[in-house]
Amino acid sequence: MNMGADQLTATFAALADPTRRAILARLASGEANVTELAAPFDMSQPAISKHLKVLERAGLISRSREAQSRPCRLEGRRLKEAAAWMERYRRAWEESFDRLDEYLEEMKKKEVRRGRKK
Amino acid sequence: MVERNDVVEHTGRKLLMTRVFAARRPLVFDAWTKPEHVAKWWGPRGFSLPSCEMDLRPGGAFRFVMRGPDGVDRPFEGVYAEVERPERIVFGGTIHDGVHVNTTVTFEDRGAETLVTVAQTFSAESDATRGSAEGWAQTLDRLGEALAAAR
Repeated sequence: MNMGADQLTATFAALADPTRRAILARLASGEANVTELAAPFDMSQPAISKHLKVLERAGLISRSREAQSRPCRLEGRRLKEAAAWMERYRRAWEESFDRLDEYLEEMKKKEVRRGRKK
Repeated sequence: MVERNDVVEHTGRKLLMTRVFAARRPLVFDAWTKPEHVAKWWGPRGFSLPSCEMDLRPGGAFRFVMRGPDGVDRPFEGVYAEVERPERIVFGGTIHDGVHVNTTVTFEDRGAETLVTVAQTFSAESDATRGSAEGWAQTLDRLGEALAAAR
């Protein structure tokens, strides 16, 4: 699990804010510029720009340098990395569950033995 | 017979897993909350738990050290938020790579069996972010769908 711990932390930190998640969800349906992204929020464009900077630094979005409106687009790679990390984590849990299954059988046998002694 | 039906929900930074265990609820709760039992099964195969400290009460601390097959120790420590025997434990902790995880484990009585649900939320920040967890699932669900469609 040593795949870019800092990157993972940055990804989860960027995802920890509801406005930024809403921005990502909006970008999942296509590129948009700051004005378009700010529209659904009761927030100034500079405030939205700050969120965009966090997302950009975390590598979750990229911004075009060409067009003056600098449209933003979703970069799926970081999210996929975070998803892959969680998948490994999930598998670790599954194996723990398997071990617990087996251990509960032992616990039950011990319980029965103790019950007989009484 | 063990009924194995893990339901997995796995969107963004939330993980939800369930399993039905073939044992009564008090026994399953003990297996989760007594160090001598936890050490027997916690972690993936090939891992051991050389250290397991549990101060099982709200506000009490826990510290697990998980040793991998590579010999590397991975600490997991944090604090219990809720302990309601035999139905529920909630704890927040930091895993070895700095990610903070809030975990809720519920134990549902199914007669001779017990349904265990583990719900985890990951963040890079402390419990302070817990309040902002609302609503994120919805947006990320949509995001997850969009990403799945893009794949």
